[in-house]
Amino acid sequence: MAKRQKRFEVLGERAVNQDGFIKEWMEVGLIAMDSPQDPRPSIRIENGKVMEMDGRERAEFDMIDDWIAAHTIVTDVAEEVMAMDSLTIARMLVDINVPREEIVRLSVGMTPAKYVDVLKQLNVVELMMAMQKLRSRRAPANQAHVTNVKDSAPLLAADAAEATLRGFAEIETTVGVGRYAPMNALCLLIGGQTGRPGVLAQCAVEEALELTMGMRGLTHYAETVSVYGTEQVFVDGDDTPWSKAFLASAYASRGLKMRYTSGTGSEVQMGYAEGKSMLYLEIRCIMVTKGAGVQGLQNGSISCIGVPGAVPAGIRAVLAENVATVLNDLEVASGNDQTFTHSPIRNTARMLMQFLPGTDFIFSGYSASPNYDNMFAGSTHDVDDYDDMLVLQRDLQADMALKPVSEEEVIAVRNKAVRALQAVFEELRLPAITEAEIEAATYAHGSKEMPDRNVPEDLRAIDEMMSRGVTGLDVVQALAKRGFRDVAESVLNMLKGKVSGDYLHTSAIFDDQFNVISAVNDPNNYTGPGTGYRLEGERWEMLKDIPSAISPEDV
Amino acid sequence: MKISEDMVKGIILEVLQQMKPSSPGPDRPTQAAPLQLREIGPAVVGKDKNEVVIGIPPAFGNTMTQTIIHIPHQEVLREVLAGIEEEGLKARIVRVNKTADVGFIGHEAAKLSGSGIGIGIISRGTSVIHQRDLAPLQNLELFSQSPLVELSTFRAMGKNAAKYAKGENPTPVPVRNDPMARPKYQGLAALLHNKETLLVNRDQPTVELAMA
Amino acid sequence: MAPSTQSNMSPDAIADMVKQVLSNMAQGQSAPAAASTEAAPSAPASGHLDAARDYPLASKRPDLVQSASGLQLNDITLEKVIAGEIEFKDIKIRPETLEYQAQIAESAGRPHLAANMRRAAEMTRIPDERVLEIYNSLRPYRCSKQELLEIATELESQYQAKICAALVREAADVYEKRGRLKQP
Repeated sequence: MAKRQKRFEVLGERAVNQDGFIKEWMEVGLIAMDSPQDPRPSIRIENGKVMEMDGRERAEFDMIDDWIAAHTIVTDVAEEVMAMDSLTIARMLVDINVPREEIVRLSVGMTPAKYVDVLKQLNVVELMMAMQKLRSRRAPANQAHVTNVKDSAPLLAADAAEATLRGFAEIETTVGVGRYAPMNALCLLIGGQTGRPGVLAQCAVEEALELTMGMRGLTHYAETVSVYGTEQVFVDGDDTPWSKAFLASAYASRGLKMRYTSGTGSEVQMGYAEGKSMLYLEIRCIMVTKGAGVQGLQNGSISCIGVPGAVPAGIRAVLAENVATVLNDLEVASGNDQTFTHSPIRNTARMLMQFLPGTDFIFSGYSASPNYDNMFAGSTHDVDDYDDMLVLQRDLQADMALKPVSEEEVIAVRNKAVRALQAVFEELRLPAITEAEIEAATYAHGSKEMPDRNVPEDLRAIDEMMSRGVTGLDVVQALAKRGFRDVAESVLNMLKGKVSGDYLHTSAIFDDQFNVISAVNDPNNYTGPGTGYRLEGERWEMLKDIPSAISPEDV
Repeated sequence: MKISEDMVKGIILEVLQQMKPSSPGPDRPTQAAPLQLREIGPAVVGKDKNEVVIGIPPAFGNTMTQTIIHIPHQEVLREVLAGIEEEGLKARIVRVNKTADVGFIGHEAAKLSGSGIGIGIISRGTSVIHQRDLAPLQNLELFSQSPLVELSTFRAMGKNAAKYAKGENPTPVPVRNDPMARPKYQGLAALLHNKETLLVNRDQPTVELAMA
Repeated sequence: MAPSTQSNMSPDAIADMVKQVLSNMAQGQSAPAAASTEAAPSAPASGHLDAARDYPLASKRPDLVQSASGLQLNDITLEKVIAGEIEFKDIKIRPETLEYQAQIAESAGRPHLAANMRRAAEMTRIPDERVLEIYNSLRPYRCSKQELLEIATELESQYQAKICAALVREAADVYEKRGRLKQP
């Protein structure tokens, strides 16, 4: 073009135009939902066995079909629900006169293609309505990512403490350098309980190492146990539905909560989508999860969000996969945990889909560090967005499970967490945390303000700690010995949570008195206006009260 | 960077072009030349404790010739080899045909390596330093964000791998993170990986390569 | 990505290319299917504990909760930990507790979750190390069919883990049919 139109020049510079968009390429599965290549729903049951499913005969089942047919689908109701019109079922999802229990009773008889056929009838507002009605736990909650690019232990402990003080019910770390994992887990264990007793902590790394840390009482739950919607991608992930189910039971056998992780786009990202739509393959993941008897799932595309985010209706499909999860009566940690756009407008719009209806964990990884330190490659929102989130809660009278905090209390818990960590490091013979590190971590924005640690020395000490067989109980002793009795008590109470197993149930979290809150004792009871979770009473008074609001007496 | 329809088409065209060995392509200035690698037989487990094995997938230097940020595969290998040689060790290169997963390729290389240390590099640049005794999807060092893996990273990777092979405990190559890499590159990475997996053959063994 | 200079390529060629890509991708992905042996969990109600009455166990039925070594929750105190009277094995879940939780899951309408808890109850008897080894054995291409069947036998005879054994046998059949056993 010889001469540019000035408005187009300006538009070209906008953040959204730095995003990558791609047109649908349905032959390889670069399509969000409703691909003409997706199978049509069907089922044939003989003698209580699924003999044909979504147009595929039993003899041609792949591993995932086999798993779903044998372990997920409840054949008693399959014929009933498969005979129902998909539009009728879709309307039931949003009808306040049809109870949640009735929908859940039917959903276990549906095939993957039937789920797609039902969900594609709903627009995003209807999907949000379905989420509000169908999620398992009544009260919404949130999960935070606590990481930094240097794997700086003092900063991890301080960030964990601030995150839990601010209201996150679960915190998750991962590593820059793989061998740091046990030390990072330790930082969240101590920092998390310092900020708010009862918070669950995890460390997302390779499956076997993650389980080992859980067995030793260094973590409370696991989440990054990935499942996939095609057999080849599942195998490339070094697992099968059977190995993953065994792993799921292994966690429960040690009293540890766990959920699987999956998400639209992973199969095409890994090169084997078999030409199916992202939503269809994701439904298969959800059903693999259900069949394994796992209580919940993290989905909402997660680390592959750039893929559905790049195609038409991708963000709608992401909400639909969250809804499919609760339709399976599973806990949902609903994404919003990975950067997918340069545009703040797109970013917020994507997050409203889960925030407005509320989910078990609206963010399955709000970044409790600045995004440059987020080692899950960035989250949708980070520490710099905290005040915007508080105002959104206040504007809409909707609960994002975050609470207003004062600068003084944040400084205090950050400092205490690092001091507690310093004491434990000394007792466990880990490389010392210096006074300079405590000072820096207390006041830091991110790892740029942290002094470097001696990495080889840290790694050697971690290997040695693991070979000595250090457990959560050693941490309790160290904390108590060095005068952090309250934190010691909390770490011990979390270990006791594994003895009773109450938090193995669907959507379980703990309050600050270590009472379990789950879909069993706090079930979602939404049946229309005036029912279900409402932001009101004491909690609303607290969330209204943001520090920057001017009161009439002050002017 | 923007992934436009033209770019998608470009990639398709490129795949098409590269899948036909006879098709001419010299008029593409930024297109790196295919690597001159010769197969010299099935890969065997090395006995030399002073070696590091580098594993690459079938498309590397073949139907794909550069990383996601356009580093020619020839230079990738040159830098990794230089890093290993700087530490006084030797390198072998193997082509792992049965998978395009960086973790498995790195692990396969480590299992073939006399020192037990291997490196896996896939075409778009994602890389790993691996050790024989670890689980396939564990690692000593992982370079997971391909747009951040630069030429200097490859040399540092070779150097560190050699140090692990000598039993040293090196400082890991500094980890890098760019939260905006995903919105920019993920769609493209998906396209590239679909291209990468086209040549995978589960039944074809790993072969040893020589630079021609 | 380099800008393409091959712009004279026709739409037909692109279409052909896409077809070729597809046919390559489809190769090697059809194999004989597996026969599954287990039925999905169906109707609930074998248990006795009730979700509304007995959950959470820690507060409503502390009488039922003991650790693997027989300690009650009240016995596990900070004082005893400091005094070194509590070991890590004293704060592990025991199979009976997982059975109670399975009953609660069933009464809350979650038979799938209950089935997982019952597998877990069996696995409390297997040492950490062995759990990890068996998990790794179940990963793709790790074991021959015979090796998997031996693990199933071990699960039954050494750990009375019948449900887990059935799961491993089922895996052995499926892996065989899908070509995911250890390659010779």
